[in-house]
Amino acid sequence: MSARGLTLRAVVFGLLALFILLPFAQTVLLSFTLTLPREGHVTGAPTLLNYAEVWARPDLRGSILNSLTYVTLNIALCLAAGLPAAYAFARYRFTGDRHVLFALLAFRLTPPVVLSLPVFFLFARFGLVNNPVGIALVHCAFNLPVAIWILESFIAAVPREYDETCFIDGHSLSGFFFKRLIPAIAPGIGVTVFFCFVFSWVEVVLARILTVTAGKPITMAINALYGFRTDIGLVMAMTVVSLIPGVAMIWFVRNHIARGFVIRT
Amino acid sequence: MSNPHSNGAWLLLVPALGIMGFVAVIPLVAVFNFSFHDIFTIDEAYWIGPEWFTEITRDPQFWASLGRSALFSLIVLSIQVPLGVWLALLMLKMGRMAVPVLMLVALPLVVPWNMIAGMWLTLINPEHGLAGRAMTALGIAFDYKFTALHTWVLIVLADTWHWLGLVVILAYAGVAAIPEPYRQAAAIDGASRLAVFRYIELPRITGALSIVLLLRFVDSFMIYTEAFSINAGGPNNATTFLSLELAADIGSYTYGRAAARAMLDFLIVLTVAWAFIRIRSTGKHQ
Repeated sequence: MSARGLTLRAVVFGLLALFILLPFAQTVLLSFTLTLPREGHVTGAPTLLNYAEVWARPDLRGSILNSLTYVTLNIALCLAAGLPAAYAFARYRFTGDRHVLFALLAFRLTPPVVLSLPVFFLFARFGLVNNPVGIALVHCAFNLPVAIWILESFIAAVPREYDETCFIDGHSLSGFFFKRLIPAIAPGIGVTVFFCFVFSWVEVVLARILTVTAGKPITMAINALYGFRTDIGLVMAMTVVSLIPGVAMIWFVRNHIARGFVIRT
Repeated sequence: MSNPHSNGAWLLLVPALGIMGFVAVIPLVAVFNFSFHDIFTIDEAYWIGPEWFTEITRDPQFWASLGRSALFSLIVLSIQVPLGVWLALLMLKMGRMAVPVLMLVALPLVVPWNMIAGMWLTLINPEHGLAGRAMTALGIAFDYKFTALHTWVLIVLADTWHWLGLVVILAYAGVAAIPEPYRQAAAIDGASRLAVFRYIELPRITGALSIVLLLRFVDSFMIYTEAFSINAGGPNNATTFLSLELAADIGSYTYGRAAARAMLDFLIVLTVAWAFIRIRSTGKHQ
């Protein structure tokens, strides 16, 4: 690379890093700052009290557990239903295959606000309101199409001879899926998990409407902290805590994150 | 080698179609049905035909919101897509150094949606925000509460911060998949960087780019959480987008009108997506 190219990149990515990291820096900074006066402490002083309070409050701790529960369930559902579907699209041609793919895309394009009303009535009838299963299910409307899309491109990258050899070796279909296919596309599973997580963990509209009295997710717990005298330090500490699983996910998929979207035309 | 034809493959789709039927198809049919009813409670609904639709389409507020949403999508797409593609192209020659950049741009994607606005509002807060104090010191008056232009700037900025990573990741996936000899051959022929992009790279990333355009279009066109948390549609409805109107109807329990509105919004989104796909596929056949 030329010296000019290097300087250009250093400047561009330096500015990009500044733009992206500035709000995070602000958040972390405030999370370690005392923002409401308390006995024996001055506001503005560096403190760990905000984190101590997140840890001590059962509603905040509980919300982390609620979010983790439905996100894990959602990821499990998307993989369980998405893997066979992705395998079908990657390995076979069948009547209507292109139409089904387009229909799946159309569902991903449905705005969550559009679905919120009927989903609430429908799920109330089945006892899925205030229930982590409900949120896990409704997030599938958005995550399942994406999961099928990512998994399909990873499966298609594995040569078909690989499947055939496994079947000749005497693997059953389920044995092949668990012992051969899943290990072969492990990075694809990782990327799928990441993108399911990224939607399910941070989505607000549907998660709010489906948790009326119990099972509040982390997003709603943060909203509830805003009030007449908002302890912004506590809000920021809770935000930082909510970022930890996501940052860990980015770290795990860092080498494969851009590989799931190669679209064969 | 092309794939074998087998309608037995439909069996593999059963779990996925079952879930989608329950969480997407049934609710959409239900919204469609609600939109022709006046709903007091879920058991007390009266058929009123297309009355809600005539009411909404005669309301100038609806068209104003539609215009605002379209303008917002246009601004967001024309900033984020070129910027994201350009960043992805710059990352190409960086080898392993591209990984930390991908991690960097992915960070905002894992922030809870209601806190995107929360983090930006704190950042520009004149009392304890880094940017807010800097602006006060420089004498810049930034008033997102009462100056419509400033509210727009803030929402566009927060949305770009939030979603630029998705554009970069998808665009990078596209350009990184182009075999290097293509570019080398063009470089030997003396093609400029712009020509390489126009004739070698762009045709090969149109698939990835159409997905980016579609995803960013829907999500920006129906932006809700950030816009609502920043200024709740104000000042004077200057940032009342389609989804905010819809949420207001749901909030005031006028479910029939909310359903009709939801149906209209969904049809607009689908029409744009369908037109876009049609234009692209006719372009491909020529």
